[in-house]
Amino acid sequence: MKNSPQMKGAWLSRKYFMILTVCIMTGFILGYSYNISKDKRDKESISHFYTQQGDSYQEELIAQQERNKELSDELNALQSKILEYEQTYKTNEDTYDVLAEEAETLRVLLGELPGSGQGVSITLEDHNYNSSSNPNDYIVHESHVFSVINELKIAGAEAISINGQRLQAHSYISCNGPVITIDGNQYPAPFVIEAVGNGETLLSALEISGGVVDQLLTDHVVVTLAKKDLIHMPAITKGNS
Amino acid sequence: MWLPLLGLILGIALGILTDIQIPAVYENYLSIAVLAALDTMFGGIRAQLQNIYDDKVFISGFFFNIALAAGLAFLGVHLGVDLYLAAIFAFGVRLFQNIAVIRRILIEKWEEYKLKKSENLPKAR
Repeated sequence: MKNSPQMKGAWLSRKYFMILTVCIMTGFILGYSYNISKDKRDKESISHFYTQQGDSYQEELIAQQERNKELSDELNALQSKILEYEQTYKTNEDTYDVLAEEAETLRVLLGELPGSGQGVSITLEDHNYNSSSNPNDYIVHESHVFSVINELKIAGAEAISINGQRLQAHSYISCNGPVITIDGNQYPAPFVIEAVGNGETLLSALEISGGVVDQLLTDHVVVTLAKKDLIHMPAITKGNS
Repeated sequence: MWLPLLGLILGIALGILTDIQIPAVYENYLSIAVLAALDTMFGGIRAQLQNIYDDKVFISGFFFNIALAAGLAFLGVHLGVDLYLAAIFAFGVRLFQNIAVIRRILIEKWEEYKLKKSENLPKAR
């Protein structure tokens, strides 16, 4: 105040004008920076909100991705398992086929399945005999039937029936005078034995020299062999066995 | 004494009402400008209280300080070094010194005033 005695009367001295200017500028800068920082704070709070939202979305995304990863791992494990199974199946497929065929053949042999196909038919008849001789020498005995059946089985017959009665693995045949009993059913002569199988093989097996047919002829049995293209045999049901 | 206060209030009002956006890069300059302006203000008050106030020093100090600080900040931004910290440090230290001096002077004056008052009063009675 010492250097302005001559300006004391003026309403707005130079000094006060300067001070006013500086004060206004300072105030302006202060206010302006306050304004800007306030804007920034607002923006930050908004962006903070968005950041939070983004964070939550990101967390969700990460969780989903982890879940995806788990599931794909599971999928991979299952696929490798399937592959394993497939490989095992591939190696065992042939075996299964063979087993299935064998099972079918065995069922036919057991008589559980109806057998049909080409085959042979053998008829054994009693020879005409005179009353003077022993009739036992001229009739068909069970042993003849047995030998035929055995020969057929050895030759690979799949199914055998006698007079329409299908034979199974545990059938029994017994001689009972002029008739024979098969599984409790009596059949008189002539006996028609039918067998499903390879006809030529069966026939040649029966007709082999010194074989079954020769023996039968020696025993005065009338044998008729016939190859058939289609023989159908019913399955044995549990009831009549 | 009311004129600077009025000017300050007027300036603050203007600044708040102004709606100009500046890029975020220049916010350093603004902080420096704030410091420079405050420093100059308190410097002026101190000079006034110490009876060494001069218009030219005040005004030139105000503008020169702001320009220098802004220049330092500019250089710092372009060199990749935080040079504006130097300006902030210098201004901050000076601000505190100025305020300390002002406080001391005011306390002295108050003590003098009290002393004078206690001397005057018994005489008056």
